[in-house]
Amino acid sequence: MDKSGVRKNPDGKCIIVFKPSGKIVEAEQGTLLLDAAKRAGVEVQTPCGGFGRCGRCKVQIEMGEVARRQGPHLTQAEIERGVALACMTVVKGDVIVYVEPKEVTRLAPPQETTAEKIALPIACEWQRNPRIRKYFLNIEPPTLADATNDFDRLRRELKRQAGVDNVFASLQVLKNLPTVLRQDEWNVTAVLESDNTDNGNGSQPSRLINVQSGDKTKTSWGVAVDIGTTTVVAYLVDLLTSKVVDIASAYNGQINAGDDIISRIIYSQRGDGQSQLQAMIVKTINDLLIELGGRNRVKLPEINEMVVAGNTTMTHLFLGINPKYIREEPYVPLTTHPPIVRASELGIRINPEGGIYAFPSVGSYVGGDIVAGVLSSGTFQSGKLTLFIDVGTNGEIVLGNADWLITCACSAGPAFEGAGVRNGMRAVPGAIEEIWVNTETYEPTYRVMGNLPPQGICGSGLLSSLAELFVSGVIDKGGRINRALKTPRVRVGEHGAEYVIAWASETQHEQDIVLTEADINNLVRAKAAIYAGFSVLVNSVGVTLADVEQILIAGGFGRHINIEKAIQIGLLPDMPWDRFKYLGNTSALGAYTTLVCQDMRLLANEIAAKMTYLELSADNSFMNEYTSALFLPHTDTTAFPTVQSLLDSTRERLALSGTSVET
Amino acid sequence: MPVTVETPIEKWNGKVREVTLGATQAEGGTRTSTVTVGGSATLPFLHFEGSVPHRPVIAIQIQDVDPQDWSPALRAAWGDTTKDVVAWAKKAAELGPDLIALNLRSAHPDAGNRGADEVAQTVKSVLGAVGLPLIVYGPGVAEKDNDVLVRVAEVTAGERLAIGLCEQGNYRTIVAACLANGHIAIARAPIDVNIQKQINILINDMGLPLDRILMDPTTGALGYGLEYSYSVLERLRLSSLQGDGMTQMPTICTVGEEAWRAKESKVSEGVPEAWGNYAERGVIWETITATTQLQAGADIVVLRHPKAVGLIRKTIDLMMAQ
Repeated sequence: MDKSGVRKNPDGKCIIVFKPSGKIVEAEQGTLLLDAAKRAGVEVQTPCGGFGRCGRCKVQIEMGEVARRQGPHLTQAEIERGVALACMTVVKGDVIVYVEPKEVTRLAPPQETTAEKIALPIACEWQRNPRIRKYFLNIEPPTLADATNDFDRLRRELKRQAGVDNVFASLQVLKNLPTVLRQDEWNVTAVLESDNTDNGNGSQPSRLINVQSGDKTKTSWGVAVDIGTTTVVAYLVDLLTSKVVDIASAYNGQINAGDDIISRIIYSQRGDGQSQLQAMIVKTINDLLIELGGRNRVKLPEINEMVVAGNTTMTHLFLGINPKYIREEPYVPLTTHPPIVRASELGIRINPEGGIYAFPSVGSYVGGDIVAGVLSSGTFQSGKLTLFIDVGTNGEIVLGNADWLITCACSAGPAFEGAGVRNGMRAVPGAIEEIWVNTETYEPTYRVMGNLPPQGICGSGLLSSLAELFVSGVIDKGGRINRALKTPRVRVGEHGAEYVIAWASETQHEQDIVLTEADINNLVRAKAAIYAGFSVLVNSVGVTLADVEQILIAGGFGRHINIEKAIQIGLLPDMPWDRFKYLGNTSALGAYTTLVCQDMRLLANEIAAKMTYLELSADNSFMNEYTSALFLPHTDTTAFPTVQSLLDSTRERLALSGTSVET
Repeated sequence: MPVTVETPIEKWNGKVREVTLGATQAEGGTRTSTVTVGGSATLPFLHFEGSVPHRPVIAIQIQDVDPQDWSPALRAAWGDTTKDVVAWAKKAAELGPDLIALNLRSAHPDAGNRGADEVAQTVKSVLGAVGLPLIVYGPGVAEKDNDVLVRVAEVTAGERLAIGLCEQGNYRTIVAACLANGHIAIARAPIDVNIQKQINILINDMGLPLDRILMDPTTGALGYGLEYSYSVLERLRLSSLQGDGMTQMPTICTVGEEAWRAKESKVSEGVPEAWGNYAERGVIWETITATTQLQAGADIVVLRHPKAVGLIRKTIDLMMAQ
């Protein structure tokens, strides 16, 4: 390459060098930088799905010629400096590109509560009818007098020694049988998978999923996986004791293809996008399995069963089903009850014959994760009128009790997960997780995860900053920053009014961390969608919020919700705090319960069938409830008496101290 | 056989708040009379059900630049007076309205971009020329509104003007000026009950008493969203009767401005013959829009055409007769 860097190879191929990794790919002229980066294995974040909407895939063109498509995310100065959006830029010749390594995505998310604390959330007789059974058999070798074939010989012993009848096996398992049987003098362990959920009397055929030489009955492993849109969590479970032995979590590898399910579906429709997405989630899960296996000295083929719970789109993508029609009216998924598949069909690196059970869903926007959540929360067995809220991007809500369940999804958006917010980030070390604002000086104090200099604000930090700025009077009930406040923290920046939470001198990246009015609007919209969602749900069955006896909060974010602040901003209803309960990751808990106790599969079906789905887009009261909730805490101030009295007392105190609340 | 039908009477917990516009000399202003609106304890004109202490009132809208973009029918009705805002104000007052609504259009960047001091003087001269209480509208550009209306509020302190428009995106400065100088703020929302209530709350949160706020829920003219604004006015009235203190302010509707924006009020050529005489059509458009708004619960209608003023006064007379 010469100095100008605009040389073209004779065959028309361009050489693209990615710094700082030094990875090199050849690509046709006109190749999208993003695609080239992918081929080179260079990670570039595209939360918007690669549509030039988010501006997060900025790269630096150090040398060479590219063509950029116009977009709002680059300033003229940036273009002059060589900054480009990878998703909107094609190569015209040999290019050297610098891609900022994204520390954030490489950091592991905070680990779930330690494994020892995880217990079966609801009672079940898991020992009565295990799905995976192992039998150690000592088999009489064949003779000329008894020349029964290998498989029948095994089956005969299974019947004789274990009383198991009606066993079948795939060709793959049978192929290994002759060798394994003779490896340890006809001492083998047969691993059977029995689907006895119907009656438990053993009349169903059992699948022989493995035969191993020697006695392997001392251990039996399974995994339960929650496939979140953002985070994937896997529990390694000892099926002999029902204990969760270890937990691992990682970001869903699909994140770089879009933050929310809609972006993922869009991504899946381009080229081989769908199989790329499937490969990403399979890799994420396999990496977690390798981590769990390594840490616990478990060989992955020793894991014989897997249960996954995810929203309908995640489940479709995982199973390799086209999710296209989930997004198109009238929003139908391929199926709500996916069949059990074998691990080898998906490339999951447990026993290739091991079954993978995906939780049934209710519909396109109420998925298996919510069915699993309801199952593990016990809502379906409670006499109490229960509101179950999954505070996530999709904002699923379930209302009901032992007799009935109604559900809706209110698309809150990813604001509380840090996306769509200027200095938002995920909950990893370096994230501001809580903020307090002094009511008189408007100076903030904050706490950072991992006690590091701050890098951004995560969901709980955003929630608390919204509440604090509101209560301290920095923003009004409409979410507007009071520009007249006499504090350097409030200023009008490039993107409108903003409040400075951390000065550049305090932060990791030496840039101010701010909350802008636009961020505030996004957060208010997210909270309004959730509040409006459960308001409509509650009204639709003719009860009021006051009738709700318990509110269960779920989701990865749910672990961080500060109830007091969530009420102050009107995300949660103003009720006595003892009616709220955190459940943590209910989806993973549901998957775990079902892994251990296969009878739960019947319950899952029952729950999915019992849930009535309310489509909010077809409900004309939703918009009214939503606009009404687009206010802090709410347009109906009488619904938030404790917040009103807090505001009144703050106002009084300020009046006494002589600080004016007004402009 | 005679049938006795009992008129159903609804019991309401709340009523519309009374707001008085204008201040006489004794009250710290210079007005010769004041106007009190609101106070209804029932739906519009249901005298048999509850008290309707004040009749809805009419404001005539004028502006401080000759409105060359107005419909020729309107311009013809006012003649040359529109060239001089003081003469226009006097002529409008002669038609016997309850209020004058003055648009400070001249401060608009597209219409002269006059400065705050100059515009404030205009307001002073109009106040000097007529004794009626005054409504003052800024040019409708946030930055200019804040500049001009603050100055106006200062030089007219104590006059109890109604000043607008305060919207969710821009209300603090205007409200603060009303607060400091004894004026009334007009809260505008885009045909939405929730947003109307939100802006009312925001204004009240700044310390402006509830009897110094008027609601303008945005008017849709006949054929241009009239049914929506009817519904919003009605819902606001129902909500205030049900006791929601944050929706109990009297309502003001900019009928003339909206009705005369309609194609039907402006266009004389190239329309079906069946549409009839064009000059009358505009008046009818304004009158029907105003009548409908009054039926839905408007307390103040802001009109433009002298004939519409007469027709609406007659309508109000009839509706108030018991």
